[in-house]
Amino acid sequence: MTGDDRSTIGGDLPAARDDRPAMGDDDPTTRDDRSPTRDLRPDGGHSSVEEPGEDRSSTGTSAEDVLIEDEGGRELDRGPFQRWVDRSIEDPERVYRSMFYVATVFFLFTTLFPFYWLLMVALTPEGNQQDIILTPNGFNPGAFVEVFQVIPFHWYVFNSFVIAAASTAIVLVVASLAGYAFGRLDFPAKGPLMLLVLVISFFPPAAFFIPLNDLFNTSFVALEPITGDGTLYNTPGAMVLPLSAIFMPLAIFILTTFYAQIPDGLEDAARVEGTTRLGALFRVVVPLSAPGVATAGVLTFIAVYNEFFFSFLMTDGQVENWAPLLEGILGYQGQYEVMYHLMAASSIIGVIPVAILVIVAQEKIVSGLTAGGLKE
Amino acid sequence: MATDAGSMFDGEADQGSGGDRTGNVVVNWMENLSEAAYAYLLLLPTFLLLALIAFYPLLMTFVMSLRENRTRGAEPLGGFIGVENYVDILTGNARLAQQFLDVSVSASAPFVELGTPFLQQALFVTVAFAAISVFLETVIGFGQAYVLDKEFRGRRWVRVAIILPWAVPIVIQGMIFFLLFQPEVGFGSDLMQWLGVFGADPLADSQDAFIIILIADIWKSSAFMALLILAGLQSIDRNLYDVARVAGASPWQRFKRITLPLVLPALLVAMLFRTMDAMRVYGLIESTAGCTTVPSLTCLVVEAMFGGTRIYATAAAVAFATALVIGLMLLVYAVLFRDTEEGFA
Repeated sequence: MTGDDRSTIGGDLPAARDDRPAMGDDDPTTRDDRSPTRDLRPDGGHSSVEEPGEDRSSTGTSAEDVLIEDEGGRELDRGPFQRWVDRSIEDPERVYRSMFYVATVFFLFTTLFPFYWLLMVALTPEGNQQDIILTPNGFNPGAFVEVFQVIPFHWYVFNSFVIAAASTAIVLVVASLAGYAFGRLDFPAKGPLMLLVLVISFFPPAAFFIPLNDLFNTSFVALEPITGDGTLYNTPGAMVLPLSAIFMPLAIFILTTFYAQIPDGLEDAARVEGTTRLGALFRVVVPLSAPGVATAGVLTFIAVYNEFFFSFLMTDGQVENWAPLLEGILGYQGQYEVMYHLMAASSIIGVIPVAILVIVAQEKIVSGLTAGGLKE
Repeated sequence: MATDAGSMFDGEADQGSGGDRTGNVVVNWMENLSEAAYAYLLLLPTFLLLALIAFYPLLMTFVMSLRENRTRGAEPLGGFIGVENYVDILTGNARLAQQFLDVSVSASAPFVELGTPFLQQALFVTVAFAAISVFLETVIGFGQAYVLDKEFRGRRWVRVAIILPWAVPIVIQGMIFFLLFQPEVGFGSDLMQWLGVFGADPLADSQDAFIIILIADIWKSSAFMALLILAGLQSIDRNLYDVARVAGASPWQRFKRITLPLVLPALLVAMLFRTMDAMRVYGLIESTAGCTTVPSLTCLVVEAMFGGTRIYATAAAVAFATALVIGLMLLVYAVLFRDTEEGFA
């Protein structure tokens, strides 16, 4: 409907315009630049066969032509805004298209501006942090070095990496076994057991915390050679165990969906070849579900790296006691001064690993989150 | 590899020189299990871990919550006193700096009276936070999902930008908004004061800090909503829109009659997830305004545990009550789900 309307009103517009898809598919900027000159062609006598790109090539004559034509166009339409309104009334899709661009820019700005602003705060020398909006007050990239000198921030990051990697490894192995059972085997009480696993993810960590805190502060003789005093407090275990359990339901869920999709024939073939049951799982099903395993892995890693509650409460905050990233970032709030620029700089450094993961694995993140949500 | 894995999960004693032979025995044993028995074996590690980290602590929390606080002596818990701790936290008589719930029934008009300000009662803070943030995140998430649903050049990077806040660690999210609204550094408070919304010291004022925490949560979590809604949007048959357009439906009608009903199951799941998550809010508060300014349910548990008062039984009661409140929310959604037919198992 829109195409027909436009060609009757606009006169002899090039036919190509009507074939244009209603939305998207095209680069926004070129289209917006193009349309005014194109519409002027009827009275300007330009050949309609001409490529739109050539209109804009800045040879002197064509630029003048455009200017003159523009004047002529304004006599009819009275200014670009009114022309835009006219055209919008003819073709409501235009309004939605511009709303779409406005929304896109708005969302980009709101999500990215805090990071930009954080960088500006980090770059501002200490003591000048007043009224930073778009530019830093001074320039002091040294904050990114100072961050590591004031406290051993790199060790906090290292601790976080160890905890996140260990949790991810445990979750992937344990959840693979469970995902295989839920996805490929039939057994009584399958539904209730799955529900039981999922219900865990709904409980607040606070409901688990008090007995766990007791448990991890209890001395076990068996643990003495490993942890010194026999307790799990101030060891990675005190964070890895609860975090693995809490983020496992999502991983089990993702892996169940992926493992269920592997054709039975492939596994049967491996079994006929003499592979053991577990061999079939780890040599056939898991490799064939590599995207699913990667999805579960990336999501678990990000979740553990980002976690606050157990990470905050299961160590005393000392870096040698496996305190993670968050204690490092909160550590710049000193006793006598608050080092705002270092807080900002360390926050930027702390975001970089997950930002890289998001850029590299965004498809996996999206598919994992939606699988977790949609099939529930 | 299978042998290794077998011995790993079936007994630590299998290590050493005889490990290979023992491994074979284990593998043979596993091969001969029925399908159901094998399934239970595979689920064993999961349930062992969940039993240790989730089921046992949950039960213990409940048992602890029924005992008496004992503030002197080595043993912090006294004898069983039934539901007294729950009565205390529900009537505002617990020895907490901020109350779980502190309302009393009055004879006149609204029939309830607040013992302490609304935003100093953890239950109200948490429920209000969950309700407002999830509502606004749904609206904004819909907007973001609409943007991501279109095909355009650079869409991949727009998607990265929109997901990025979701992947930011909670402490950094808190730090960003702490700095933005810290009067010495950020312009956020100046802006809000200029608009007349904030008072003199926003991070120390319950209402202002509540708004800051809301903004921070919306910034981070809208992307999660957007992704789940987007998945719902993309599963809609595009032909429906063509038919509607031919029939002369306006975009609003298309949204109301096609998009919304078809996205609703995915939307409800997303809202459910976000509600559960918002009800646990703690880290964001701890790293921005602090728990005394904006006490959430989890804040109360931590405060009771580490506040120096040794009221562990009260802490347990608050923790278990938190779980119950979340369970109630779950029920609300379960009822909603029943109406939508699809979804929940």
